[in-house]
Amino acid sequence: MKTKLYITTILMLVFTVLSATIQAQEDRNKGVIISALNGLHYSIKAGFNVGGTSPLPLPAEIRELKGYNPTVAISIEGNVTKLFNPKWGMTVGLRLENKGMKTDANVKNYRMEMLADDGGEMKGYWTGNVETKVRNTYLSIPILANYQISKRWEIKAGPYFSYLIDGEFSGSAYDGYIRDEVPTGEKIEVSHAYYNFSSELQKFQYGAQVGTSWKAFSHLSVYADLTWGINSVFDKDFTAVTFGIYPIYANLGFAYIF
Amino acid sequence: MNLKKLFTLTALSSLFLFQSCIQDEALNAEADILNCLVPDSILKADPQISNDRIIILAKKSTNVTKLAPEFDLTPGATISPASGTVRNFTTPQVYTVVSEDKNWSKEYLVTFNRFELPLEYNFEHAKLVTVGKKSYYEIYEYLDGSELNIWASGNPAFSTLAADRPANEYPTSITDDGKEGKGLKLQTLSTGDLGAMVNMPIAAGNLFLGTFNSMIAMQKPLEATQFGLPIESQPTYLEGYYKFTAGKVFTNGAGDVVPNKKDIADIYAVFYESTPAEPTLDGANILTSSNIISIARIENPGEPSDYTFFSIPFKVKPGKTVDANKLKNNQYNLAVVFSSSRDGAYFSGAVGSTLYVDQVKVITK
Repeated sequence: MKTKLYITTILMLVFTVLSATIQAQEDRNKGVIISALNGLHYSIKAGFNVGGTSPLPLPAEIRELKGYNPTVAISIEGNVTKLFNPKWGMTVGLRLENKGMKTDANVKNYRMEMLADDGGEMKGYWTGNVETKVRNTYLSIPILANYQISKRWEIKAGPYFSYLIDGEFSGSAYDGYIRDEVPTGEKIEVSHAYYNFSSELQKFQYGAQVGTSWKAFSHLSVYADLTWGINSVFDKDFTAVTFGIYPIYANLGFAYIF
Repeated sequence: MNLKKLFTLTALSSLFLFQSCIQDEALNAEADILNCLVPDSILKADPQISNDRIIILAKKSTNVTKLAPEFDLTPGATISPASGTVRNFTTPQVYTVVSEDKNWSKEYLVTFNRFELPLEYNFEHAKLVTVGKKSYYEIYEYLDGSELNIWASGNPAFSTLAADRPANEYPTSITDDGKEGKGLKLQTLSTGDLGAMVNMPIAAGNLFLGTFNSMIAMQKPLEATQFGLPIESQPTYLEGYYKFTAGKVFTNGAGDVVPNKKDIADIYAVFYESTPAEPTLDGANILTSSNIISIARIENPGEPSDYTFFSIPFKVKPGKTVDANKLKNNQYNLAVVFSSSRDGAYFSGAVGSTLYVDQVKVITK
């Protein structure tokens, strides 16, 4: 008898706790469900960026890419999607991301210019090796049109806008020579010269983003996006690098859909 | 597949992707004469090839009216007149080299010099060499109607680092304040931010008989100063006038201040044997080589504020003698060197040190 009561009490307690948990979950889901009924869906994404901050197309001056390291460049994003009908929707996100890489290239007759703070300048054509390290942190807002191909597949495309929070663009020119001013100028061999163009990086960056995602489970999908910078990462009046340099990155990762 | 493997795979495939974007190599834009061939029998020393000039020190007996020098060029470049064309080198001849991509060309002045090394220097002649927006002085001698480019300085290297400035604010320049007429002015200057970046914080003004190899000036600055030209008599005294002011703050090669150290000017001449193993002495061995026969140097030049006469004997090194045959065969060189900072070759000195030199003479036996 005593044992029976004991068991009943425990069962009731378990039930209470259980129902309370369910209740809480329902409360939370209610918001999501109400949103869903209004055609709004929320998700968070986490992934990494692999790509290059590079002239495009690669100029003929670049003869060989001797080394490439995508570095660990993480992105996290929260976004909201408004569905207009079962197929079409629109996604707006807020993304914090790193875009970085390290390259080691061999160049021939690469026009460059170096300007020191005191007015000293070295201009000319470089033949030799160039090491580049880029690590830029952006706060980005993608605004994408959304199309549901099937139950699991979705594609997205649209513009994105980025604000540079912190940036590094540095490296060295090594084991080569510079021709002073023009390719027929004085030839000067250089073993190592360091450069740092971090302060010349543009604060605003915009471009195009296309991507696809595949719903693996009802709340989890894997995605792949491509972001393609349209304006150069450097200011227009920056002349040390004579090519436009564009960030082109693939973003791969997982999304959790509420 | 772990994350690291995935990462490596992505990196490799991206590298492959980028590599496939490499475009075809552009045609060469350079237009250099890499080598100049003339019969060995007429040469006093190897041809001096600089960026736009070739000077061939030829023996006095050479007939220069019909010579056909041959040239090696940057791959794909062309030269006109063609390599091997017979020309009259009584006066210097111009050759034009056009790059493989046809976008760039360069004129070379090719000179055959048959003179004996001049031994009096009055520093009356200088011309402006212009590279881009920058110009600096090049000092030369004038003899029997022709320019003799026997002097060299570090100005070409300074110009690649320095901010825009007038030519008289280069380390080596010519001045109206000579003992008589114009004179030589050497000053030790800061090379600025770019100079510091390549560990060459200062540049001493220098002028010397010989050639300056700009190409290696940043990597091997000591070897870049090639001291000495063939001389056919034995020098005994170095004479002339100078005045000097030392700069206030002495810094070492790292750019750090050395307290209580005074900068010293340098005026010296070295007479040495040119051997196949060591045809020319440079900044690393000009005062220490075993090829040296004799040296004349003002040991303690002090700081005379007015032009002061100097006459210093060439002190022959113990056991060294001069062979008359070798003298005749141009196997001895003479280097005359002026510098506004004695340790300028090691980038030590005081910015502001200024040396004036004029009316220099080498007395020979």
